[in-house]
Amino acid sequence: MAADFKTAQPVEYYRKFLEKDVRPDGRELGEIRPTMINIGSISTAEGSALVKLGNTTVLCGVKAEVTNPKSEEPDKGIIVPNVDLPALCSPRFRPGPPSEQAQVVSQFMVEVIQNSGCIDPKDLCIKAGKHVWVLYCDLVCLDYDGNVTDACVLALMAALKNVSLPKVTLNEESGNLETHMQEKWGLNILCQPVATTFAIFDDCIVFADPTDEEENLATGKVTIVTTEEDKICFVHKPGGSPLSDDKLQNCLQRSFIRAREARNLVETTLVNVDR
Amino acid sequence: MAGLELLSDQGFRIDGRRPHELRRIQCRMGVFGQAEGSAYVEQGNTKVLAAVYGPHEIRGSRGKMQPDKVLINCQYSMATFSTGERKRRPRGDRKSQEMTKHLQQTFEAAVLTHLYPRSQIDIFVEVLQSDGGNYCASVNAATLAIIDAGIPMKDYVCACSASYIEDNPVVDINYLEESSGSAELIMAMLPKSEQIVLLQMNSRLHEDNLSKVMDMATQGCKDVHSILDTAVREHLTSSIALQDSSVT
Repeated sequence: MAADFKTAQPVEYYRKFLEKDVRPDGRELGEIRPTMINIGSISTAEGSALVKLGNTTVLCGVKAEVTNPKSEEPDKGIIVPNVDLPALCSPRFRPGPPSEQAQVVSQFMVEVIQNSGCIDPKDLCIKAGKHVWVLYCDLVCLDYDGNVTDACVLALMAALKNVSLPKVTLNEESGNLETHMQEKWGLNILCQPVATTFAIFDDCIVFADPTDEEENLATGKVTIVTTEEDKICFVHKPGGSPLSDDKLQNCLQRSFIRAREARNLVETTLVNVDR
Repeated sequence: MAGLELLSDQGFRIDGRRPHELRRIQCRMGVFGQAEGSAYVEQGNTKVLAAVYGPHEIRGSRGKMQPDKVLINCQYSMATFSTGERKRRPRGDRKSQEMTKHLQQTFEAAVLTHLYPRSQIDIFVEVLQSDGGNYCASVNAATLAIIDAGIPMKDYVCACSASYIEDNPVVDINYLEESSGSAELIMAMLPKSEQIVLLQMNSRLHEDNLSKVMDMATQGCKDVHSILDTAVREHLTSSIALQDSSVT
């Protein structure tokens, strides 16, 4: 009976739940799905992390290469995030070139890295003007159940914290690069941005961490990225229903708490990874 | 002898296995909620994820519709971080296209295609970490995913590779053995009836040795079958137990 009602009138179905301040999956409005992280599971990558946010699963692998720097920034390394939403992860994605959504999320990741300043690109310099590291951060969504952005940001940061690179020096005489496989170093992560997404339903009800179903019914969405000491580094609200100032304040407060929890989770997981 | 010693004097391979020994296979079924069927297979250091969607209506060009049988649509993709050197494209390169085609041909031969005319079954395979035997791990994972989706097949399709190294047939070769230049034979078979679904051999091998390598691969497929079968039975027992406990 309930299932029929849900299929026929999904919005009405949700309203009935939201009247009681609860969601069909049993969560409260501000509650975020259980989050799990597995770090260092891919041994072919320099750093990797798997993040599960409820059913949504994202795997991030970081590969490092040595390349020539851009001429306008000769002493800065390059970080290239790329989000892939393959047909495997949900029935609504078709095989083919990257979807618009995947490109939007990729660009979002670029902006998060730049705005938060989580890595100083100068750390990735081997010899200014000649050789710099490029970090290809590939994020593959394995199961799509809404809110990939949060999962992606978490996976990316956890994977970057896991990166271990060999020491590379330039031999001035021969001009060749020398790799010291024994001497490994990790990236200096200056801060850890955490994204929290909220969906707006019926122009007034705001709830955190929407599932795929909720994303489809939502009339708007807002993503807040915060770093340590409750600093906001990025707010993204792509159109949709307008949001009042005090509602946004509530979202901000919720996202600060979430960010602290997520950072603790990453830290405790990293302690248990020997690498 | 130059370079690596692929088979030691004591008869051990580079990763410490005996010539007839498979790598450790770990599998899980029903890993996702979104797909009708899904499975994850770890064969040594090769890690593969498979998802099956369907049978459903034909998507995309309706011209592909077959009036008498189901269309099997495969996609093989390798994560860019799965290999030692970064891959430029996860899919769409020739090697992946070839693999896609192989998977499609393999499963067209094994799935009871006449049961779902005018429909489509999607099999998506993603290699997360690669250490040789990608085709074999993909087939094994896809088989489990199809079983998980409840799509009838003639039998399990089990795949295994074999090679001939220093006058010894060896089974389930890893990346180092694969790239050593010796012959590589990959075989997919229906183990109960011992029918070969797909067989491919690269590189040179003397005719006299072919049967030895084939026997090795056949035995490998049967070993894989018993592992997969145990996994399926365990999965079913635990999911039935779960249902029972939720009823009471």
